Amino acid sequence: MHEDLLQRCVEEALKLGASYAEARFHRHIGSSILSRNGELLGYGESIREGVGIRVIADGALGFSSSNSLGWGALKEAVAEAVKLARAHAKLMKRPIELAESRVGKAKYEALCLKPLDSMGLEEKSAVLAEIWERAKGAVKEARLMTLTAQYWEDVEEKTVVNSDGALVASRVPRVAVGYNFVLLHPQKGTLQRRFEFGGSGGLEQLERWRPAEHAEEEAAKLERVLLEGAEPPREPVDVIVGSEVVGLIVHESCGHPSEADRILGREAAQAGMSFIKPGMLGQRIGNELASVIDDPTIPGSYGFYLYDDEGVPARARYLYKDGVINEHLHNRWTAKLFGVESNAAARAMDHSGEPIIRMANTYFAPGDHTFEELIEGVKLGVYIRSYMEWNIDDVRWGQRYVGLEAYLIENGELTKPVRNPVLEITTGAFYSKVDAAGKEVRFYPGTCGKGEPMQGVPVWFGGPDVRLRSVKLGVVA
Amino acid sequence: MIAERVSDLAETLVNEALKRGFEEAAALVSRSKSVMVKMFNSEISVVQRWSSFTVSLYLAREGRIMVSTIHPSSAEKAGAIVERAIEAIPQLKPSVLYAPLPEPEKVEPLPGLVDGSVVDAMSNPEPLAEAMLAEAESLGVERAAGAITLSLAEKGLATSRGAKLEEEATGAEAYLRAFVGEASGQWAVGSRKLRAEDLKRVARAAAELASQAKGEAKQLEPGAYDVVLSPMVVGNLMNLVGMMASALAVMMGMSMFAKAEPGSKVASEKFTLVDDPRTPELLGSTAFDDEGLPTASKPIIEGGALRTLLHNSKTAAKMGAKSTGNAGWISPHAWTLSVKPGDATLDEMIREVKRGVIITNNWYTRLQNYVEGIFSTIARDAAFYVENGEIKHPVTRIRIADRLPKLLSSIELLGKELYDISWWEVSPAVRAPYILARQINISRPFE
Repeated sequence: MHEDLLQRCVEEALKLGASYAEARFHRHIGSSILSRNGELLGYGESIREGVGIRVIADGALGFSSSNSLGWGALKEAVAEAVKLARAHAKLMKRPIELAESRVGKAKYEALCLKPLDSMGLEEKSAVLAEIWERAKGAVKEARLMTLTAQYWEDVEEKTVVNSDGALVASRVPRVAVGYNFVLLHPQKGTLQRRFEFGGSGGLEQLERWRPAEHAEEEAAKLERVLLEGAEPPREPVDVIVGSEVVGLIVHESCGHPSEADRILGREAAQAGMSFIKPGMLGQRIGNELASVIDDPTIPGSYGFYLYDDEGVPARARYLYKDGVINEHLHNRWTAKLFGVESNAAARAMDHSGEPIIRMANTYFAPGDHTFEELIEGVKLGVYIRSYMEWNIDDVRWGQRYVGLEAYLIENGELTKPVRNPVLEITTGAFYSKVDAAGKEVRFYPGTCGKGEPMQGVPVWFGGPDVRLRSVKLGVVA
Repeated sequence: MIAERVSDLAETLVNEALKRGFEEAAALVSRSKSVMVKMFNSEISVVQRWSSFTVSLYLAREGRIMVSTIHPSSAEKAGAIVERAIEAIPQLKPSVLYAPLPEPEKVEPLPGLVDGSVVDAMSNPEPLAEAMLAEAESLGVERAAGAITLSLAEKGLATSRGAKLEEEATGAEAYLRAFVGEASGQWAVGSRKLRAEDLKRVARAAAELASQAKGEAKQLEPGAYDVVLSPMVVGNLMNLVGMMASALAVMMGMSMFAKAEPGSKVASEKFTLVDDPRTPELLGSTAFDDEGLPTASKPIIEGGALRTLLHNSKTAAKMGAKSTGNAGWISPHAWTLSVKPGDATLDEMIREVKRGVIITNNWYTRLQNYVEGIFSTIARDAAFYVENGEIKHPVTRIRIADRLPKLLSSIELLGKELYDISWWEVSPAVRAPYILARQINISRPFE
């Protein structure tokens, strides 16, 4: 619908001497409901729309955005992008160039079976109230000190036009529901849990998620951890890492270090660099079970897209394959420097963001074990099902996950709860110590942050439960 | 900077909302221009420029409240959010947070929020980037990454209680990460004012830290160490304390102050943290909040005691307190934070350390439990092991993994020099000294 205007921006940039130009109309229309202890705190709506323009002029990259759609403002934005790029060209050592790519002319929408407006605000608020009621009812000896719950929806619409012939229009609705509660016991202290459901599509997802049931189960299980949880064993033990934690681990220790812009140092002063250096493709990172895939095309996924913001068609990327560093995430700029084709990882948060290399839906490849098979051979171990605290160093090698719901495994059976086991491990150790993976892959939503200014984009991360042999766990100080 | 006044636009929207049957309304209209030069490998990765127009509207009827934010493509389109709200509001239940908007109070304008040199440099910031990179290079830096951001923003506020206010402010933020071999150092500055000398100082600080960190970085045995934290690290951790001081964070179980009464001891008696919006050169300074109340610089923690949470009228009514001029219509927040200086030099702090580490930068601070303040954060760039008052060698792959209340209570020395820090991991900006805290837990990964 804004094609002509975008085309005009591209032509204007070329006329001003840009060697490449791209214009993206980008709109988010969203709303959110926030509640505490079942009662409404507030309701918010947001509309963000505008055009992002990116140009290469004299070998330097310029980006400009405006939320005015008038030609006067857009023409000025184009001129500024070209002017600023040109002014900084003398500081360039290697001119910016883009790899040749087969760009698309396409229009697509994410499937939405039950439209976002098919439920009123009252009904949506009731979803949050039920989360409180069910969780409160599940807690017996401790007290549910506070529970906040949030409903969130957004429709993202984009049209991307560039001087290499791309014309891609898309519409992706997304829904998310999250909650955060604190359990309090006078003698045992507090325990906190945050959880979120999210995906692309419509309100049909709520029926699948059943967030109130989920919160009820979590509250009951975590009350037991709060009341009975013991310290994890001090000696090295086998650890079953639950899929929720595995998903985050692959996001942090495979997805991020595989971003080619990070490998080249472009994010060095912000989100950091990578232990992966140019030339490391083919090097071993773990054993043959260590395969991690990032796939934007999974229907219903939070990170769903079919073309990236440079107009390149999306496909699954096999980042680690059978324990070997197999492929990086590329945009057209990094693809040129690495001598490969772009695998369509360029994404912008909204009209004000430049497209940068992002993950979409990253997961550890499934194995062939049932959960019972994973634990049956374990004499002494710990199963870490969920987490709260996590972080990883800026080259993505040393990482830490503090377990929340966790259990001791004794002679092949889950026995008593374990409190705050700390899995603090290097990337190499994690992928080398996996000796079995479950059959079932589960996904979890997140908003991944990167770029300057910070751009948060929706992603899924997931995987099966996996088993690590002989790992030393830490304890919270 | 722009012909139509933002406060007039805000007033028009408020009047429109009242005409359409809302009992109360507040509108915040902001218009900004900004430019950012992003650098890596001592060259330019991208130059970005934004022109932004944002309208936020608070509407209330019969205790039902909603907030709409729109980036409209024209001023006329902003009115569309009132239309949407008319449909939405009857479907809502009254908010438990509801309290009426406050009566306006006299707002003393804050002079010195605009610096002409920021505005001048926005048309071409290239000389600033070039000078910063040249300074780093002259000190032996092999490559550097960072960003310079300049902005000019105006905000206009109107409320149905009769507040009508306007303010214009500039911003200048710069940070650089310098590399010498595998070693790196990073520093940052943020201010309402642009001083070329500040940018060079950032480059020098980053370069010097990178040079000091040259040589084989060793791992540390996990355990308790004294820690000397740079203003970069203090800034990051104070962002967390500032967030937790929001009364809404307390209500939502996202605060270590959930169990603390005003006046109770929450930190070392040497420690004072101020929400500091009335110091004009600090990024984030402002004369009025989103409800039209005057802001005030006031201690959150003073001499180790919790003095106040940060309130808007709603949280204040809920908790029987008075607004502190920190609205956010729904969520109160700190504007900009200052840590009161001590009287130590960095060298004196280091001399006080028997067995400890100096951490000059950090990132990725996350919590296991906000109420208990159980957290960890990762050291990055230059970090050093100190023994018997002397720096021994650089260290790598360490984390602070402890409890925030314990860290605050273990502060023994504060530096006399203050630094204005703002960067990717420190926002809002923080004015902070070096601090020394005793016996803080340090961890490292299993290999």
